Amino acid sequence: MIALSSTSLSKTYRNGFLNQRPVRALEDFSLEVESGQIFSLLGPNGAGKTTFIKILLSLARPSTGSAIILGENLPSTRVRTRIGYLPENHRYPGYLTGEQVLRLFGQLSGVPHAAVETRITPLLKMVGMDQWRTMKVKKYSKGMLQRIGLAQALINEPELIFLDEPTDGVDPVGRKEIRDILRNLKEQGKTVFLNSHLLSEVELVSDRVAILDKGKLLKTGTVDELTTTGSRYQIGFVPPLPESFRLEAAALVLQISYAPEALTGELKSTQELNRLIDLLRKHGVELTSITRQRSTLEESFLNLLKREVPA
Amino acid sequence: MRLLALILHTVREVAAKATLWVLVGISTVILLVIALGFSTDTTADGVVLQIFGHATTPPLERSQLEQAVATMQAGLAGGLMTGVFLFGIFATAGIIPEALEKGIVDLYLSKPIARWELLAGKSLGAVAVILVNIVYFIGALWLVVGLKAGIWSLQLLLSPLLMTFVFACLYSIVTVLAVATRNMGIVIIGAFLYLIVVGAALESRAQGLYLLSGSAVYRSVVDGLFYIFPQIAGMQNQIALLILKQQVDWVPFAQSFASSCAIFGAAAALLQRKDF
Repeated sequence: MIALSSTSLSKTYRNGFLNQRPVRALEDFSLEVESGQIFSLLGPNGAGKTTFIKILLSLARPSTGSAIILGENLPSTRVRTRIGYLPENHRYPGYLTGEQVLRLFGQLSGVPHAAVETRITPLLKMVGMDQWRTMKVKKYSKGMLQRIGLAQALINEPELIFLDEPTDGVDPVGRKEIRDILRNLKEQGKTVFLNSHLLSEVELVSDRVAILDKGKLLKTGTVDELTTTGSRYQIGFVPPLPESFRLEAAALVLQISYAPEALTGELKSTQELNRLIDLLRKHGVELTSITRQRSTLEESFLNLLKREVPA
Repeated sequence: MRLLALILHTVREVAAKATLWVLVGISTVILLVIALGFSTDTTADGVVLQIFGHATTPPLERSQLEQAVATMQAGLAGGLMTGVFLFGIFATAGIIPEALEKGIVDLYLSKPIARWELLAGKSLGAVAVILVNIVYFIGALWLVVGLKAGIWSLQLLLSPLLMTFVFACLYSIVTVLAVATRNMGIVIIGAFLYLIVVGAALESRAQGLYLLSGSAVYRSVVDGLFYIFPQIAGMQNQIALLILKQQVDWVPFAQSFASSCAIFGAAAALLQRKDF
């Protein structure tokens, strides 16, 4: 089942007062996100990630294209009863306490008063803010604001949750707790749409990832698909490695690098891998391990962006 | 339910500002001065009005006394209206620009709230605060004068509703300026300019603006502006007449209601077109 889909979404902003310069924030952006997944949208600053979320939440109007969320065509006010949103750099009225923030936004979400009251305490406990529930939010730290913001986004028990940089300003322990909350939401069948520049975080929780740059979708896939570099293998061995092996290997493998107890080779196929192993054996080298190499999401992301930048 | 939550939240927001409490403080001081200083002395010739023990009128018959008290009440109510409008704009002008700021508007509009509803909730919340203030002052004034002079004016008791209506009309201008500029400073300047200069000039156009040109087109434009905008000064004059128990002309109220609805509609349409 599809939680959200966009078809050829484009957004052009006009900058400047008199001489309005068009700025393309999103270009022909089509995407599908399945229900029950943690989906992450990655991209450098200004890539159009927040613009995409804002269009989905009707905070901005698309220049062209259309989108469907939870089966409803946008724009739709009604569908927002089923959505939670934690914006980036959100600001709550400083005179409210954490508890009052949840009460207010629960009421604004259309949740009946009694239901709001029963949800406040479990949510505050879940995000670790129960002991500061009566403190005014103007006294909260950035991390505490993020936690209360997350609780606010969940007060209406949404089916689809948009989180824009949810771990921004949160300490490592808090980040781990937030990741656990996201996994828990996924287990409950909810769809989480994550915007984050913390790629290591994204890698740990996401089912699928899309990479966006300059308003265009560059690639989409699972974390595995994006991080497996295909044919790079590391072979561990007991030194020494004979020089004759190196000469023969150079003819066999296009790219090969050596460390004292391992070599890393860019191989075209498993047959080539087996030939390399045979060669090592032929030279009497004792093998200790064979590992298929994966790049981090960050490396994949940077490589992808580099490829897009014209030389 | 959502609209009510927005209204109550806005009331709380304004109550968190010092400006409102300055207004409440000033109102309370004035009321205390009246409560302590105002008295009547019944003599064989009639009733004398006294301020801190000093007679301010000759002995008055009942009808004359009622008239004198009504004049005093109209003066105080007029002063209150001006004070409340000025302080009220100061205290509430920032409500809509703040609600439309990045990081706040996202939170509101990601909830199932229509944009016009956000605007209505914020505006009605501001008006509700002013209503409470006016009711506090006028209600207390009515009680003090009633207890001290034995005059219980129904007209004075009705005036807070009309005063609040006038503020609501003025607030439609605040709303459209707030949506267009999202700048509290510009909103305050614009509202004051309208209240003190433009509205007053349009109200007394026969003695001022008409004299600038004899052109029929010019006069039509001036008249058009007069009917397009809420007639704040005209309604204030009618409220004074109500308290003085004189004939009230309801036309300025009806016209201002229509123009305020149109201005609010324009603000809502403008907000609908904005990207955040």
